[in-house]
Amino acid sequence: MKEFEVTCKGKQYIIVRVSNELLALDINCIDSILMKQNITRMPGAQYFYKGVINLRGEIVPMISMRLRMGIEETEDTHKTRFVIVKTSDGSFVGLIVDEVREVIELRDEDIDKVHNAEANNYSIGIGKYGSELITLISIDRMIEGN
Amino acid sequence: MDVQQYLSIFIDETSEHLQSLNTHLLILEKEPDNAETINEIFRAAHSIKGMSATMGFNKMQKLTHDMENVFSEIRNGKMKATSDLIDVLFRGLDCLESYLANVQENQKEGDLDNQDIIDELNRIYNLALGNGESFSVAKDAAENNAVQFDDKNLFKRVPFEEHEIQAINKGKAIGLNAIGLTVFLQETCMLKAARAFMINRAIESIGDIIKLYPTAQDLEEEKYDLYFSAYIITKKKPEDMIHIIMNVSEVKEVYADYIELSDINITNDKVAAVETPKATENITTKETPSIRTTQGAKAVSSRSVRVDIEKLDVLMNYVSELIIAKNSLKSISETIPGLNSINEYVEKIEYLERLTSNIHESVTKVRMVPIDSVVSRFPRMIRDLGKKLDKEMELYMTGEDTELDRTVIDEIGDPLMHLLRNSADHGIEKTDARIKAGKPEVGSIFLDAYQIGNNVIIEVRDDGGGINVDRVKDKAIEKGVITAEQAEIMTEEEAIGILFKPSFSTSDEITDVSGRGVGLDVVKTKIESLGGVLEATTERGKGSKFLIRLPLTLAIVQTLMIKMDDEKYAIPLGSIQTVEDIPWDDIKIVDGKDVINLRDRVIPILYLSRLLDIPMKEENKEETALVVIIKKGDKQAGLVIDELVGQQEIVIKSFGKHIKPHKIVSGATILGNGDIALIVDANGLV
Repeated sequence: MKEFEVTCKGKQYIIVRVSNELLALDINCIDSILMKQNITRMPGAQYFYKGVINLRGEIVPMISMRLRMGIEETEDTHKTRFVIVKTSDGSFVGLIVDEVREVIELRDEDIDKVHNAEANNYSIGIGKYGSELITLISIDRMIEGN
Repeated sequence: MDVQQYLSIFIDETSEHLQSLNTHLLILEKEPDNAETINEIFRAAHSIKGMSATMGFNKMQKLTHDMENVFSEIRNGKMKATSDLIDVLFRGLDCLESYLANVQENQKEGDLDNQDIIDELNRIYNLALGNGESFSVAKDAAENNAVQFDDKNLFKRVPFEEHEIQAINKGKAIGLNAIGLTVFLQETCMLKAARAFMINRAIESIGDIIKLYPTAQDLEEEKYDLYFSAYIITKKKPEDMIHIIMNVSEVKEVYADYIELSDINITNDKVAAVETPKATENITTKETPSIRTTQGAKAVSSRSVRVDIEKLDVLMNYVSELIIAKNSLKSISETIPGLNSINEYVEKIEYLERLTSNIHESVTKVRMVPIDSVVSRFPRMIRDLGKKLDKEMELYMTGEDTELDRTVIDEIGDPLMHLLRNSADHGIEKTDARIKAGKPEVGSIFLDAYQIGNNVIIEVRDDGGGINVDRVKDKAIEKGVITAEQAEIMTEEEAIGILFKPSFSTSDEITDVSGRGVGLDVVKTKIESLGGVLEATTERGKGSKFLIRLPLTLAIVQTLMIKMDDEKYAIPLGSIQTVEDIPWDDIKIVDGKDVINLRDRVIPILYLSRLLDIPMKEENKEETALVVIIKKGDKQAGLVIDELVGQQEIVIKSFGKHIKPHKIVSGATILGNGDIALIVDANGLV
C-alpha cells in the first residue's frame, strides 16, 4: 500500500473541512473537485458509502466523510463539494466534504507522523499550519474499513 | 548490443516455439518416423537456441543445444524417439518454460538447475550412438543442405516469375542495371530476420528490390538458412552493392553480378526449385507488389496484424461511449415534443442505431480469439497425468477454433485445466477396473467447444466411473455439510451441487493431481465471475460431463430495464425466462418461504424491494404482482418487481472493488440521460 511520502520538504496539500475538523489531502492524489450532484444509492454497501456518481462516463463510488468519521450527517450546503481522489490502484473514489478551503504547503518539520497500523485509522499525521492543526489522511486506508 | 528492446519479441517467439515443440513432440511420440514433425521440432529448437544465446540466457541455450543434438540424431535416423526419451525431452521443455517465465517476470532466466536433464539427455544420446563416439554432432541446419558457402552463382539459379522479368526489362530499357546478389551471413548470426531486414534496407537506399529469394516474409520469419538472394534495379554497379552490404555487420560474404535474361530460369524450371527447400512454404510478401511471387502456390499466408490488446480495449471503450451517446440522443428526442413525428429525424436515428450496433459487433469480433491458444497445452498435460496416475487415457478435442472474447480466454485456462485434471484423477478408472467393467482399456476425455447463439459452450466429458452420488452424500454428512435426513430427500442434482461447495473433495486419497478440496468451487466461482454458468451431469458407470456456458462478450448486454420506487435497475435478458402477472393470492407460503405454482412447477418468490432495501409498494390485493421469472440452468426463481420500463442495450461499467454492495448488484451502467442504473445479477439470486 502506498503511503504518503512525507520525506521531501514542501509538499502541497488541499485542505478540506468536515464538520469542524480540517483534513489535508495530498495534492497528487486529487483528480478534480466537483459541485454536488445526484448520487445513485448502492444497496447493501458499507455504511459510509453514499452510492455512485457518473464522472465523465465512469462510475465513481462516493464516501460521506461525515459518516466515515463518525459524525452525524447534515443537509448539504452551497459549500458542499465532491473531491475526486485517485487511489493507489488507479481507481477513483469521491469524498463528500463540507467545504474545500485552500492549497497549502507543509514541510517535514511541520508534520508529526502518527504510526498506527490499524486499518480503520486513516490518519497518518498531524500537520501544523499557522495556529491550526490539520489531520493528514491516507486515502487508501480511508476507502477500506467496514 | 542492447538486447532489452528485443525482450518482448524474444518472449513471444520463444513461447510460440515452445508450444510448437510441445505439440510436435506429442505427435512424434505417436509417429516416430514423421519426418515433417521432426523437421519442425528441429527448427523450433534451433530458433530457441539462437535467440536465447543472443539474449545471453546461457542456461536456456545450453539446454536447447543438448536437446537439439538429440533431435538432430533423430532426424538423421540414428536414434529412435522412445517414450523414455520423450519424457526427458518434455522435462527439458518444462525447464525451458520456467526459464521463460522467469525472464518474463524479471528479465533474468533464474538459477533453476537443469544439469540432471542434460545428463540424462547425454546418457541417452551416448547410449544410442555407441559410447565411444565423440560429442561433436551439433550440426547447423545449413550444413545439411547441399549449398556450398562459396557458391558465387547461387543467385543465377533462382526461378523467376513472368512479371519479374518484365520488371527487369523495364529497368534495362531506361538504362538502369539489373543486379543479382547472394548474401551469406556469418554462422554465428543470431537474429537472422533482423539482419536480413537491415541488409534489405541498405539495398533499398540505393535501388529497388524486385525480388527476394526466399521471399521477404520467409526472411522475416527466419525461414531461411544463412544465405539469401536479392535482385535489384539500380543505377549502381555490383561492386557498390557488395560494398554497401558488407558494411552491415555479421555478413560473411556477398556475391553480386549483372543479371542477363539468358541466365534466368523461369519458375517451372525444376533445377532451381530444389535450391532452398525452406522457402516454399509461404508465398505472399508485404513489400511492393512487384516482388510478389507465387512459387509453390501453397497455403496463402494469413493477412493479419498483431495489435496490442490495450489498443483494442481503448477502441471498445470508445464504442461503449458511442452507444451511450446514441442512447442519450434518443432519450433527448423523447423529451422534445413533436421531434419523433419528423420522419427524417426518426430515420436518421434508426440508421445511427444500426451503425453503432454494427460497429459494436465488428469490434467484438476483432477481440475474439480462438480457444486453441488455451487448450493446445492440454494434450500434453493429459499425457503426463496418465503416466503419473498410471492410467491409460486419451484426450479428444473438438472446436478448438471456437472464438471467445480475449478477456475470457485469459481467464478460462485454469478452470478448464481443473476440470480436466478432475476427470483424469476422479473420473477415469484404473485400467484393471475398466477391463472389469467391460470398457475399452484406454479412458477417453473429451473437450468440446461450440457456439450456440450468444453463448459459447465448453464441455468436459469423460467415460469414467461417473460421480458416486451416495459417496458424495456420505462425505457431506461426515463433514457436517448436510444432515442424514437432508441426504435422504436430496435429489441427485442437489447432491452433485455439494461438489461445488468450498473445501469439498470425495477422493479418499489426496493425490498430487487433485483431491485437496480446492477445486470445483474455485472453478465455479471463476466461471461465474466471467458471467458464465457451470453445470454438471453424471451417469453412474458411464462417466460425467461438466458444461460451461459463457457469454460471447462481457461488455455490452441486452437487459430488461425495471423501475423500483424511482430507482432504475437492469436485469440481463439472458437470465430471464418470462415475465408474469401473478395474482397476489397465488403467492403461497410453504415452509416459511413464499412460492408460486407456475405451470406445475413450484418456484420460490423473492421480493426485489426487500433485497434492495426499498420501501414495499402497498399491496393492492385486487391487482396482480409483476414477477420476472429468472432461470439459471434448470433452476428458477420469481422476482417481484414494481414496474417494467423496457428492453435496452447497456454497457456494463465496473464500480471498482472498494464499494461492496449487496451481492446481487453485479455492475452498473450509464443511461442515456447520464443517470446510473444498477445491474441485478440474477445468478446470485437463484
